[in-house]
Amino acid sequence: MNDRVAKLRQESLDLKPWLSVERAALMTEFYKSSTDISAPIRRARALQYLMEHKTIYIGDGELIVGERGPLPKATPTFPELCCHSMEDLEVLDTREKISYSVDGEARRVQREIIPYWRGRSIRDMIFEEMSEEWKAAYEAGIYTEFMEQRAPGHTVLGDIIYRKGLLDLKGDIERSLGGLDLLNDPEAYRKQQELRAMAIAADAVIRFAERYAEKAGELAEQENDAARREELREIAKVCRRVPAHAPKSFREALQAYWFVHLGVVTELNTWDSFCPGRLDQHLAPFYKKDIAAGTLTREMARELLQCFWVKFNNQPAPPKVGVTAAESGTYTDFANINNGGMMADGSDGVNDVTYLILDVIDEMRLLQPSSNLQLSKKNPDNFLKRGLEIVRKGWGQPSIFNADMVVEELLRQGKSIEDARCGGTSGCVETGAFGKEAYILTGYFNLPKVLEITLNNGVDPRSGKKIGIETGDPRKFASYDELFAAFRRQLRHFVDIKVRGNNIIERLYAEYMPAPFLSLLVDDCIAKGKDYNDGGPRYNSTYIMAVAPGTCTDSLSAIKFHVFEKNHLTMDELLRALGTNFKDAEKVRLLLWNKTPKFGNDDDYADDILKSVFDLFYDEVSGRKNTKGGTYRVNYLSTTCHVYFGSVTGATPDGRKAWEPHSDGISPAQGADRKGPTAVIKSAAKLDHARTGGTLLNQKFTPKLLEGQEGIDSLAHLVRSYFKLDGHHIQFNVVTAATLREAQAHPEQHRDLIVRVAGYSDYFCDLTKALQDEIIARTEQQSFAL
Amino acid sequence: MAEARQVAGSWMTVEEALAEIAKDQVFFDESGGGVTLSGGEPLMQAAFVEALLDACHERRIHVAIDTCGHVPREKLQRISRKADLFLFDLKLIDSALHKRYTGASNELILSNLQFLAREQKSIIVRVPLVPGVTDSRDNLEGIRNLLLRMGLRRVDLLPYHEIGVGKYPKLQMGYRLHGLKPPPSEEVQGIFQQLSEDGFAVRIGG
Repeated sequence: MNDRVAKLRQESLDLKPWLSVERAALMTEFYKSSTDISAPIRRARALQYLMEHKTIYIGDGELIVGERGPLPKATPTFPELCCHSMEDLEVLDTREKISYSVDGEARRVQREIIPYWRGRSIRDMIFEEMSEEWKAAYEAGIYTEFMEQRAPGHTVLGDIIYRKGLLDLKGDIERSLGGLDLLNDPEAYRKQQELRAMAIAADAVIRFAERYAEKAGELAEQENDAARREELREIAKVCRRVPAHAPKSFREALQAYWFVHLGVVTELNTWDSFCPGRLDQHLAPFYKKDIAAGTLTREMARELLQCFWVKFNNQPAPPKVGVTAAESGTYTDFANINNGGMMADGSDGVNDVTYLILDVIDEMRLLQPSSNLQLSKKNPDNFLKRGLEIVRKGWGQPSIFNADMVVEELLRQGKSIEDARCGGTSGCVETGAFGKEAYILTGYFNLPKVLEITLNNGVDPRSGKKIGIETGDPRKFASYDELFAAFRRQLRHFVDIKVRGNNIIERLYAEYMPAPFLSLLVDDCIAKGKDYNDGGPRYNSTYIMAVAPGTCTDSLSAIKFHVFEKNHLTMDELLRALGTNFKDAEKVRLLLWNKTPKFGNDDDYADDILKSVFDLFYDEVSGRKNTKGGTYRVNYLSTTCHVYFGSVTGATPDGRKAWEPHSDGISPAQGADRKGPTAVIKSAAKLDHARTGGTLLNQKFTPKLLEGQEGIDSLAHLVRSYFKLDGHHIQFNVVTAATLREAQAHPEQHRDLIVRVAGYSDYFCDLTKALQDEIIARTEQQSFAL
Repeated sequence: MAEARQVAGSWMTVEEALAEIAKDQVFFDESGGGVTLSGGEPLMQAAFVEALLDACHERRIHVAIDTCGHVPREKLQRISRKADLFLFDLKLIDSALHKRYTGASNELILSNLQFLAREQKSIIVRVPLVPGVTDSRDNLEGIRNLLLRMGLRRVDLLPYHEIGVGKYPKLQMGYRLHGLKPPPSEEVQGIFQQLSEDGFAVRIGG
């Protein structure tokens, strides 16, 4: 990278995230003075007020401009959603992980605004409206609630802004308004308010860009360096054109996206931030045209992309507290750039810009944005292998998705073939029709905890409270099937509670927190005159995410195998061992831990149980109606929630001790897979990925294993094999020396860790101490600090 | 239950072994790989190996035989008609040294290798590099000349490693190479370079 990029990148890395109350103060001012009658208009005017008054920042050397906060890494808050208490600020400022500096001024402002938002913020409204049984299950850790601190987002931009400027979209709004039938359509007034709000929101962001143009112009006047003066004039020119008009160049396309991005994440703190999705495909026509015209070189394009990358890294996730911080404990805000895949007509989507972006990912090595390969069987191996070369460096990017499977999932959900092919994945692994779908994740769901409550006849042993239904004393169950039927009833009970809550929360957002700017960008909100949060998009999905199918499967397998089939122990003995967290029952624990058929070993005994757990969750969740004309769906990811869910779940029948983490994603439980990566892949592929909206599989390797062309080739074969078996996603954790040391100290948790030893590989825990030390020393030389 | 005592290996029928192998069919198809019958010495159980070979071939699974070559010709011949690839160990060219270090002279091994080469079988010759034992200039030159004469071009160099040290006490056996260090990588690279220049397709490890 050149000096400019190196400097911008370093500044972004060096700055610590800090809390900015500028937005909170402006929002409070606006709400206090606002007398607008409808919610959409109020929200649009609020955005307008913010965009007119927020600080404009242009950093030295920047080519792509615009910050969400007053400065890079300044993280705004959203009091209308979640107004932090003074204690929250203290926690944010001082907690060990994922902290945000809070200065005295921020505390002063916060103290002033707290009284206004009490009872008015969405968070307060949600907890006011939720039933006692909902709260009891929430506090027990059965599920989490995504919308209590952050707004629904969970969507990705399609190609609209590259075809239309915001002024063009205002034209579409005018046409939609012109078609309203106030005589016969009882919804017409509502639609009119929403459409007018969208037009105001468009003006707000156009004005924001204008203010950047003005600022760049002023800076140019004061600039002594002739080259920089020219750059600032160019910035001003670009900001005067986009996003008001459709971009005409590669550079304008990037700047247009960035302003639109800032509009979305300033309007609300949407989950998973916002994302350009298929960036390589969107940029390719501009790239080709500019290169042909001689107005752009590959190096200039690289520099612009790198400046663009820094912009993402400057925006830490909005500060989260409580359970929401536990389920998603990271600065990453999950904007996840898609590369490759296929075009709308089904042809290979890899192009020149794809490889340029992969170079940028490799060189920038930033936490944000995330990136992934959408790997279709039609894509060349060269694309996959270039990606794997980056994977091998061990900082976790890019992850790899099966583009053909993503299309199949979307088709199964009823999307058109074109919409499916233009879709992809966002956040962690979530499948969506880009630019056309709201696919809202509403909460993680703790499968092993529900089993624990089933085993205790409706009681949560951690609190002693009865939060479930009485499904019978398991000691009296005559068969495994009886136990499974009880588990089903218990699970349905909790899914019912969660959905009842969701049905209220969805309406709270639809009524009080519309998102007119985001609605502008997602088909068919303008045509329908409906908000993004109220069923405006072409497709509306609501998700509940199953957590720890691995731990749950192994636990059921242990009961079936040891209690009902082999009579190694009685249900009573098992329950007493679990109840005491295996105190004085280490022998029982070792039997359960070592002698149970477990998921992840290509063993049909355990894998068939996984399939039954999958079917159960699918049957109870998928196909339910949401309040926006769409349906519920399932997916399988856990972010950091498997740790939180584990921390509220007692000992489980798979031999896991109380409060230890659950298995992550669809990965086998830690240490349960003992037959190598091919067996894990075979087991994971037995889950019916086509009926999900995404699954997440983690694999761990050491750098040595992936050395040379042979390492890349082997990894490529592994990925292609998993995808041939219809797997959805795989990511590789190339482990560092620190992990190896941890594995040395706690081998039980790392039974599955494979290391490249010499010309072959072995389980790390099976090696002698001396050899482990040797490998740690070797790995350390190959690892690097992020 | 605590797995203080570990059982290594298990008895299997041909059907059971095939079922285990077939689980990986998708990976074989994707990578062009297959199964390697190794040991010990697989040809000690030639009848089983032959039956498993037939079973694999019915499923179009590629089979490699990893052998030390010290087996009766008749057995080798039967297997050689079916195997797709031989991984053939060649340790020492000097028969007296071979006898000293392995307990057997190498005439049968060399003649078996010659036989397979004449039959035009696919062969990768595997040469362990044990410092002070097999890595002498004489030995490596001898191997090189022999392979050139036989028209064999694929060689895997297997540098000595200490991975097995931990297994010996578990089996209550003494380890006789204590203190022996793996060959320095410059030495391995030098041998690799020389053989490559002589026209061999060489890999380190494998």
